[in-house]
Amino acid sequence: MPYQFEEILETVRMTAVEHFDIRTVTLGISLRDCADRDVNVVCQKIYDKITRIAENHVNIAKEVETRFGIAIANKRIAVTPISIPFDNFTRDEYVKIAKTLDRVAEKVGVDFLGGFSALVQKGFTNGEKELIQAIPQALAETKRVCSSVNVASTRAGINMDAVNLMSRQVKETARLSAKDNSIGCAKLVVFCNVPEDNPFIAGAFHGVSEPETALNIGISGPGVVLQAIKEAGNVDFGQLAETIKKVAFKITRAGELIGRKVAEALNVNFGIVDISLAPTPAEGDSIADIIQAMGLESVGAPGSTAALALLNDAVKKGGSMASSYVGGMSGSFIPVSEDAGMIRAVQNGNLSLEKLEAMTSVCSVGLDMIAVPGDTSEETIAAIIADECAIGIINDKTTAVRIIPAYNKKVGEMVDYGGLLGSAPIMEVRKLKTNNFVLRGGRIPAPIRSLTN
Amino acid sequence: MNISESKIRELTIEAIKELGENVTPEKLREAVYKKVEASLTNGNFTQEPKDSGRIIITSYGMNQPGVVSKISTVLAENNCDIQDITQKILQEFFTMIMIVDISNAKISFKEIHDLLTKTAEEINIKIMVQHEDVFRYMHRI
Repeated sequence: MPYQFEEILETVRMTAVEHFDIRTVTLGISLRDCADRDVNVVCQKIYDKITRIAENHVNIAKEVETRFGIAIANKRIAVTPISIPFDNFTRDEYVKIAKTLDRVAEKVGVDFLGGFSALVQKGFTNGEKELIQAIPQALAETKRVCSSVNVASTRAGINMDAVNLMSRQVKETARLSAKDNSIGCAKLVVFCNVPEDNPFIAGAFHGVSEPETALNIGISGPGVVLQAIKEAGNVDFGQLAETIKKVAFKITRAGELIGRKVAEALNVNFGIVDISLAPTPAEGDSIADIIQAMGLESVGAPGSTAALALLNDAVKKGGSMASSYVGGMSGSFIPVSEDAGMIRAVQNGNLSLEKLEAMTSVCSVGLDMIAVPGDTSEETIAAIIADECAIGIINDKTTAVRIIPAYNKKVGEMVDYGGLLGSAPIMEVRKLKTNNFVLRGGRIPAPIRSLTN
Repeated sequence: MNISESKIRELTIEAIKELGENVTPEKLREAVYKKVEASLTNGNFTQEPKDSGRIIITSYGMNQPGVVSKISTVLAENNCDIQDITQKILQEFFTMIMIVDISNAKISFKEIHDLLTKTAEEINIKIMVQHEDVFRYMHRI
């Protein structure tokens, strides 16, 4: 037999028991050729183009899923940041485009489409300002459209005007979707150093330097890593890293295979594999549980940052050997609402916003799916975003904030979104005033780190 | 770059023929290396390995008479070639792995998958049907 009995059982066990799946197969589509002076023409062009290219996306992904016996949790679409090809529109016209995106996403059968986005780290164009103004309404009146705005980069510094504007939009989005627990905010990400080929919703978009189309893959697999760590037992750190690397290698290889097959069948370019470990609310499919399995009483305990750093680094090392093209975020995700272990840690008072922030300096993304009291001020949210951006620009890494100031909710309450978005306990935020700092406005200059030439 | 096992076998046989009576393990190894290298640099191989046309069927459940026969009947009826079969039984619990060539099968992968799933339900066992590539990608470099 060309394979060992155990090897085959290992793969079967990973997929059947340990929740190993491909987290997302995201089809990136450029909309740069859909520009026109008339918004109705633009909407028609967008609708036609996405329908034409993505028509079979979901079916093909399902076929590949059956063929290899590995589930693909999400089939999604990312488009060119809408503010770039369509820079001449007003707020209401952008809302119209968002509604078109929503319609076409429904038509081709994807649950989310990313790219209602703007890149404003150094300043706004007129169109970008209008688009950002349109975000709350666009998210409230659509179901499937996701929005992201990049407000900082290592090369440009932090655009504090954008940070302040975005914190207002986050609050407004929360208000407009109040009856659904402010779910609008779960579809809105504020970024620093955003990657252009990220397959993960809500921050996905098809960057301007991307080809006409590209298929990007996001792997999953915290459950598989957790099991491997448990089986390894009480080994030293070198051995622990080795164990994680091996698992990461295997799951990334599977991701690469699935990505190439789907891309081939769709006749589009294969882009990258994003080697992020992405948790789901399913029991055992949790980054928090991995940290616990490494020997800490709970995530949030001193040592959590070191544990996460080790995990993240070992996953990258194993994953980068397994795929020809690694990209996107490629680090571990630590969203609160989507990880049963994280939720427990917050509820038990073991994990605070501050510790979470520290942990974001050694993993991808940042403060992700954090619910805070509805009365948290705009300035406080702006300050939280600024902190994350600072971690991003100084360490030359991606950071992001997806924060939900849940309307009318207080610390200790829960907001439930169902499905992969999970449910989030409202976390405490320090009520210290930040106004005089964030409202200075302007741009925090690029760090010395940007001078690499 | 990938080179399939069958291609290596083919090159080895070719080398043995060429060496004739002079063949020693060292000489053969050298000749095969040369041939593999030549094939790779000639660009005879694409970056993607060719679809092997094989699937791996893993089934497990409570042991009972007729499990192997039920599954193999379905395969035989549809012209699928069982190339390898391994089985382990632990008390009443069995695990069986089959490697099956479906390149000459009368029906598609999806149909084989559905038929086997139905059979498994009838005899109350679990079955997984997966294309071989996923194992090759995960366990072979």
